[in-house]
Amino acid sequence: MLKLTRKQKHSENAIKEERAAYLFLIPAFLGLSLITYIPLLTTFIMGFFNLNVGHLVQNSPLGSPEFVGLNNFVDIFENPSIDFLNSITVTVTYALMAVFASIVYSFFIAVLLNRKIPARGFFRAVFYVPYVLPAAASMVTWYFLFNYDGGIINYLLVQMGFDKSYFMSSSDTVMQSLTMIAVWSCGNLIVIFLAGLQNVPKVYHEAADIDGANFIKRFIHITIPCMTPIIFYNMLMSLVINIQVVIPALAITKGGPGKSTMFMSYLMYQIGFRGRELGKAGAIAFIFFIVAAILAFILFATSKAWIFYEGKDERR
Amino acid sequence: MSGFKGGIPKGSFRSIKLRKRFFDIISLIIVIILAVLVMMPLWYVFRSSLMRSSDIFRWPPVLLPPDWLWSNYDINPLTFDFFKYLGNTLIIVVPCVVFGTSTAIMCGYAFARLRFRGKKFIFSLCVGSMLLPSMVTLIPLYIGWSTLGLVGTYYPLIIPFLFGGGAFNIFLLRQFMLSIPRDFDEAAMIDGAGHIRILVSVLLPMIKPAVIVVALLIFIANWNDLLQQMIYISNKDMYTLTLGLTTFLGSFKSDYAGMFAATCLTFLPTVIVYLFGQRFFVEGIVMSGIKN
Repeated sequence: MLKLTRKQKHSENAIKEERAAYLFLIPAFLGLSLITYIPLLTTFIMGFFNLNVGHLVQNSPLGSPEFVGLNNFVDIFENPSIDFLNSITVTVTYALMAVFASIVYSFFIAVLLNRKIPARGFFRAVFYVPYVLPAAASMVTWYFLFNYDGGIINYLLVQMGFDKSYFMSSSDTVMQSLTMIAVWSCGNLIVIFLAGLQNVPKVYHEAADIDGANFIKRFIHITIPCMTPIIFYNMLMSLVINIQVVIPALAITKGGPGKSTMFMSYLMYQIGFRGRELGKAGAIAFIFFIVAAILAFILFATSKAWIFYEGKDERR
Repeated sequence: MSGFKGGIPKGSFRSIKLRKRFFDIISLIIVIILAVLVMMPLWYVFRSSLMRSSDIFRWPPVLLPPDWLWSNYDINPLTFDFFKYLGNTLIIVVPCVVFGTSTAIMCGYAFARLRFRGKKFIFSLCVGSMLLPSMVTLIPLYIGWSTLGLVGTYYPLIIPFLFGGGAFNIFLLRQFMLSIPRDFDEAAMIDGAGHIRILVSVLLPMIKPAVIVVALLIFIANWNDLLQQMIYISNKDMYTLTLGLTTFLGSFKSDYAGMFAATCLTFLPTVIVYLFGQRFFVEGIVMSGIKN
């Protein structure tokens, strides 16, 4: 046999490595193409067809779906029984409230848990548990906690001298109530913040201590700047989750009271699967994507102004 | 500033310590109060599940059930068949966890350790899909499953997890593997181990916490799901726990105690699984190195 030169041997190894990589990545290839990007492209197309669930049956009497131009898009906005604009407003309002409240709450808890307190592991578990619980069951629980006549929260409100509230049964308070539930179940954010807090260099705090900076000053000038990349990450993750909110409507509110929780996802479910009009649901999905993209874009665009990266002297 | 010149006053270190102590105690008090509030819903469900329906909404509410009526858990299987729903849920969740975790490990390894053309591009597609709301692809996927004639089976809920178990999990495992020095792989490679061998017997034992976290995350995601199950499952014999619970809520008359018992039972499996894997959780998420 010929002796291989070092270079040849190397390239042989590289080819082997590449082959192994592609083999290992078969699941990812299939997943990214079949269940992510091809469906995404399909979403962009199907909104322009009058596709119905009936079309999916073999030899359907409806024939094949027809191209209807922008009709679906016009209809979802102009048909008062769909009223998509309301759904956008409701969803964006909820998402912004939930993201903001969850971030503030989880950051606060993480800062507290980062101090030297006994049984930290236990408390961490306590605050994390709501996140792992099945969301539908949590909704049922909160629905009863919020009960007007005998619910424990109204009891506590009365004891503290406040008026009773209808919470999820009134269109005025349903958003705040759902935000509360979202905050309750955001334990994953706490864990990520805690991880970040442990990475804040101790030297900064020690130096500030010696300079006599108090807790609040240190918090504003050291902790928050060091945590901005993680705040950003959590905001993004929280946004992606909350913009898709659907379980409260599916499990409890059914879009009501009135249309106050007719979230985009729930409307899509109603139109596509209850009303069987997949084309219109596709149009909703299309605009859903655009709304989510705009919000994410705004977050990314503003992030440059407030994220502080270590290793750079100046902000931005 | 001037403190340095004349030396730091003797009292200052002690006062810093005292101040810290003070803030620690305040923090502990706030944490305890908030923890009680956070746990209240769970306690409330548990309490109510052991009471008479007529007592549950009594004013003022009681802290503990007057009698512990475990018989409430004897729910009529026609309204909420716990064991059947649990079995159905496990039929979905177990394959998802097994296949999802193992394919995520494979993909994570390729991204962490192997060099190949198009790596950056594929990886960014992967990370990009983390930001894509799954709502957007819901209907095309339904059409796909429907053309394959699989609507009404569990396959649409399981098969997606054969494909890497979600971008976040791949990303997390990759970060974990990157944190392990390559020396270990190289030593194994000199001994003649192939990639599969390196992955299984060298890396896998070292990234056990991350693997458990990924398995748990897939478990939770499936257990939490409601929308997809609603879309793909219509036969009552195939209902999962969350589907069964929401249907129970929609149909019940005034069996509040049974409702609470069913809710409690739905909570139970996740709590058990979580307690089992709890200690790996923080470690796993910390290691995923969020900054990158």
